[in-house]
Amino acid sequence: MLTNRSKSFWILLTPAIAALVVVLFIPLTTGMYYSLTDWNGNTVGEFIQFDNYIRAFKDEGFIDSLIFTASFSFLSVLLINVSALGLATLVTQKLGKWNTLFRTVFFMPNLIGGIVLGFIWQFIFNKAFESIGNLTNIDFFKGWLDTPETGFWGLVILFVWQMSGYMMLIYISFLNNIPEEILEAADMDGASPMQIFIRIKLPMLMPAFTVTLFLTLSNAFKLYDQNLALTQGGPFNSTQMTAMNIYNEAFSMRNMGFAQSKAVIFLVIIVIISVIQISVTRKKEISA
Amino acid sequence: MKQKSMFSILALTVLPTLVGCGSSDSSSSDEDSVTLEVFNIKTETAEQMDALVETFEETHEDIQVNMTTVGGGTDATAALQSKFSSGDEPDIFMLGGLADAQTWEHKLYDVGGIEIAENAIEGTLEGATLNGTVLGVPMNIEGYGWLVNTEIFEKAGIDVASIQSFADFEAAVQTLDEQKAELGLDGVFGFSGGETWVSSQFSSNFFAPEFNNSLKEAYEGETLELTYADRMKEYADMAVEYNARPLEAMDYSTSVEELFASEKVAIIHQGNWIVPTLNSLDETFAEDKLSIVPMFVEDDTEGKIVAGPAWYWGVNKDKDQEVIDASIEFLNWMYTDPEAMTSIINDFEFIPAYTNFSSDDITDPLSNEIYTYLNDGNTVPWVHNSYPDGYGQNTFGVNLQAYAAGQISWDEFTSTLIDTWNDERK
Repeated sequence: MLTNRSKSFWILLTPAIAALVVVLFIPLTTGMYYSLTDWNGNTVGEFIQFDNYIRAFKDEGFIDSLIFTASFSFLSVLLINVSALGLATLVTQKLGKWNTLFRTVFFMPNLIGGIVLGFIWQFIFNKAFESIGNLTNIDFFKGWLDTPETGFWGLVILFVWQMSGYMMLIYISFLNNIPEEILEAADMDGASPMQIFIRIKLPMLMPAFTVTLFLTLSNAFKLYDQNLALTQGGPFNSTQMTAMNIYNEAFSMRNMGFAQSKAVIFLVIIVIISVIQISVTRKKEISA
Repeated sequence: MKQKSMFSILALTVLPTLVGCGSSDSSSSDEDSVTLEVFNIKTETAEQMDALVETFEETHEDIQVNMTTVGGGTDATAALQSKFSSGDEPDIFMLGGLADAQTWEHKLYDVGGIEIAENAIEGTLEGATLNGTVLGVPMNIEGYGWLVNTEIFEKAGIDVASIQSFADFEAAVQTLDEQKAELGLDGVFGFSGGETWVSSQFSSNFFAPEFNNSLKEAYEGETLELTYADRMKEYADMAVEYNARPLEAMDYSTSVEELFASEKVAIIHQGNWIVPTLNSLDETFAEDKLSIVPMFVEDDTEGKIVAGPAWYWGVNKDKDQEVIDASIEFLNWMYTDPEAMTSIINDFEFIPAYTNFSSDDITDPLSNEIYTYLNDGNTVPWVHNSYPDGYGQNTFGVNLQAYAAGQISWDEFTSTLIDTWNDERK
């Protein structure tokens, strides 16, 4: 039985493993190798061991971009999940036909590609906000994306707007899976809606958090296209995220080996954060 | 997430098959025909280029040209790099100067002996010549500097032609600023510092004299002195102070299409490549109101603009001799065939880099003006193409933004410039 299963098991697994090897493991190993050299994209000059890594940790632009990416990720993960859960709770109320309409509308931003989204929001921040500012004379609306702060918030707003709908869908499916009898029992015991939400729904949603936190966290860290379209890292690289820093190092400065070492560092950071996040949220999961 | 990955898997599996079919079909259809893969990054003239290719194919039945156009800047570099890395190497591709020539030296055919290389205007081959070998032929000549709206200057009582010294320029800016309200200006300048390539070009004026206006010397320059930093500060401060919007945040389209074209600013830092854009917005603008004002750097009264070939055509030498010959045939044809030459001048609105063109043919006034500067020797070359890789944009451009926003002082700015340069050239 076991041998039989393992045979078909491996045969069925082969295509997936082959694909993984080709698009993941081979590039990863060659990448690791290149990160130890002074590769310029065409030729490898010499093997310089960990010089690239030492240089990366001394590179202010890289460190700044890591800090920026981390604070962006923290804030946007928080806001996305709060708003997604809020929206999910709203559209699971008994609203009849409106439910589907709202779900569709909230989900829509996720269907638009990152570059297009970036340009849409650039238009909103630069043109629409500017016009509102000129009409109402409120300073808040003026000069968006011109300063590091507004650039940061611009990116956060864009990303929250894009991802909330998607995360909402995940929360909806988990909310709908909460057994009706538990909620009814709580209701009969005299629990208020708020109590039901905090004491019953939230704990039951823990598996959802594992998924949504992972998706938002890893997507926030890897963000590139929205960053490129909205701010291009400007002004003065203050809104440059790590992915963009690595790309520029590789293709603009043509320090491919050095960029590769930054990418490896970045990968390690993402892996560590993801593993911690998953193991923490897994522990909190309970079954009904 | 899911849709995205599904799509990319689809794309990954389908694309190679499509590409595979495409190339095998064309080569098997006719034994004698050659298909040239040309990698073009001049998006502004992509349509004209396609039309020109059609004309070429009509007269050269045995050569087919497959033009790939990818947008300028970093994306093009990345796209070219990936083409080479994947083994799908183009037969003809574009070089942005000595740094690119160096990167691709191992792939480039010596084009020094071909017909158009001999026609090239003196000095224009320098940007693609390494160790005495000519690795590229110029695509065209582009010039840039302070582009001005002469009509606004006239309304303010300034004759653009009378700006003959730095003091004149400064005074003109002051006058314009004083009459900002009456002239309906948002600001005197529309310097798009948000685009680091604009700042990088701006820097050429001040870096060039230090390297004797030579691309080669700049490329080999191991140390940077910033001899003309003071003049650079005067110009930069003026642009920062009188810009219509914060200099560090203004983008290209706001600067050119919105403010300059609708006469909300009087001066921008751009080149003759914006003429087609201006024409599409206002047919008479380039004809009636566009002019260029030189920069006074080395000398208070001797103004210069930056002009020279921005791009070179390079030929891949790792191909069959037959393909190389066809590539050279195509390049020669583009700049010597009468029909093609007319198209280069009238449709592309290029300033030709070859002596077999006559200056009378250049119809666009700005291009003509730039050509005159070039002939009079009042130009400096595009030295920012000879900076260390990425230096112009990521070091100069980015730090100029920081200076404009008051994040760093001028001294910090210049010391960063010098340190980074010396570090990269170690």
